[in-house]
Amino acid sequence: MDPLIGMGVLALIGAAAAVAGYTEDLESVVGSQSNPNSQVQLAPQMKYPHRLFNKAISGEPLSNGLAAVVGAVVASSFSFTGLSTLTLIVIGSLAAMLIHMILSTTSFFGRIASQSRFKQPIYMDVFKDNLPVIAAYAFMTTACVLIICTLMTSFLEILLPIPLLAFILGITVGSIGSSVGDIQYGAERLYQNLEFGSGINAAYSGNIVRKAESGIRSGIDNSWFSSKFGGPTTGLAFAGVLFMTSWITVLFNPEWGNAVGWLGFIAGILFIAATIFINRKLETSARRNFGPYREEEKTEIVE
Amino acid sequence: MEQIIESVNLILLSGPAVLLPENPLYQLLLLLLITLGGVLITISVHLIPVGGAPAAMAQATGVGTGTTQLAAGAGLTGLLVAVSIYLLSENPLLCILLGGIGSAIMIAIVMLVSNIGYIYGIGITPASGKAVRDPITKDRQDIYVSKGTEGHGIPTAAFFSGIAGGIVGGIGGSLIFVALLKATGLPTAATALTMPDAVILSIALFFINSVIASYNIGGTIEGFYDPKFKKLPKAAIVSAIITFICGILCLFIMIQFAGFGLMEEFA
Repeated sequence: MDPLIGMGVLALIGAAAAVAGYTEDLESVVGSQSNPNSQVQLAPQMKYPHRLFNKAISGEPLSNGLAAVVGAVVASSFSFTGLSTLTLIVIGSLAAMLIHMILSTTSFFGRIASQSRFKQPIYMDVFKDNLPVIAAYAFMTTACVLIICTLMTSFLEILLPIPLLAFILGITVGSIGSSVGDIQYGAERLYQNLEFGSGINAAYSGNIVRKAESGIRSGIDNSWFSSKFGGPTTGLAFAGVLFMTSWITVLFNPEWGNAVGWLGFIAGILFIAATIFINRKLETSARRNFGPYREEEKTEIVE
Repeated sequence: MEQIIESVNLILLSGPAVLLPENPLYQLLLLLLITLGGVLITISVHLIPVGGAPAAMAQATGVGTGTTQLAAGAGLTGLLVAVSIYLLSENPLLCILLGGIGSAIMIAIVMLVSNIGYIYGIGITPASGKAVRDPITKDRQDIYVSKGTEGHGIPTAAFFSGIAGGIVGGIGGSLIFVALLKATGLPTAATALTMPDAVILSIALFFINSVIASYNIGGTIEGFYDPKFKKLPKAAIVSAIITFICGILCLFIMIQFAGFGLMEEFA
């Protein structure tokens, strides 16, 4: 394959991955699916009933992997009709979205109903308002994953069945969304009543903010907040992962000889070294700018 | 495609003797390689710094997700790189090593962007709760840990540990994948047909081993300097036993598939 075309395809994959990461994170924020869900689940038990959408279908990677596989299977099984690839992707994503909506519904009612002894009501308007947003984000994520799969199988010559590729990418996007994007939601948005610039003291667990900028807070308010930082960073990370891992094989294609393949190996190591360097710079700048939480002289070193 | 059909025809004409393992020692060697891959995956999960749910609230050091989830995400990325390399070059060593690099790249980007989130989104410094001084940079850690938490963010030592874990885990996953592909005895041109099965079985072994390691570390670990890392030998032994048993089943599946699946397809 011409490296120039390869780079173009990579740019498309990166763009689709950025959108996929962004929507994946916002979907988990609206439904408070991932790790911060523990706080949303805990809040009624600490006598803080709330109006947030509470669904935890499963861990984020598996939930996204399931949606991607359902979408890919439906799309590939309709391929006999001779419809265009884009239409097939839309059909597949619609099917995945419907499954995701069913799981969100059962998960929401099941989780909230189990908290009835803590006086947490089931708000039907919360359910009706938030579910379409969750569905829209789930649709976007699945569609973008399927677009990436199509590009990879047709241009990058990764000859895996599309459902299997979709499973791998779904797990990866969920894993990245769970680890990168939800930090801002869990440690900042849910605890805006605490002072900025500190980890959440374990004593405040469950004491989540329930008032919005206007009115009472719902999942949609949270997605507005996360769309400014948590979502974009997730998109950046997923696009970076797909771009950097494919870039090695496209620019240093081992088809041209093993020596070229080893060059790709060296390029990968150099990239990892660069991330170590940038991380160290970030850490030192944060230590310099933010400073310690306690005075150095007053504490004794116990080693 | 013609090449593939030709090679498959050649195998079918020469009878099942080529398809089935001619030499049991060869299969035993592959089984040992698969076991080694499983143990490497267990080691990698112990090396990757994960904080579980508390890390998402900046209450614990590490990446804010579950151990299995992160290891699986990284391992599958590495596996994808290994698959594309194998399809392009058929050089097993390059394929295994680049699989490790692919995993490490995924972990490196996730940890870097997580740290950007911790520093600019929440306004905290990366600090370890388990070590007073960072084992690599020798920076003081305890005074940078905010009140009521066990550290937060990913300090440099944990970052190094994570990258080492990514490399080890990616190599383990790719090793299993290559060993399973080689078990069929088919020529390399026909591997595209058995590849999906090898990938699925590698993913299965990856999940099995990451769950074993997750039970051992109980949710959170900061890396090689964490006291929980000393529990590694137990998990390695368990993982070796389980992977050995599962490896036998996986090899059976691969040999069976190469025998019957292809025959049906090209009969």
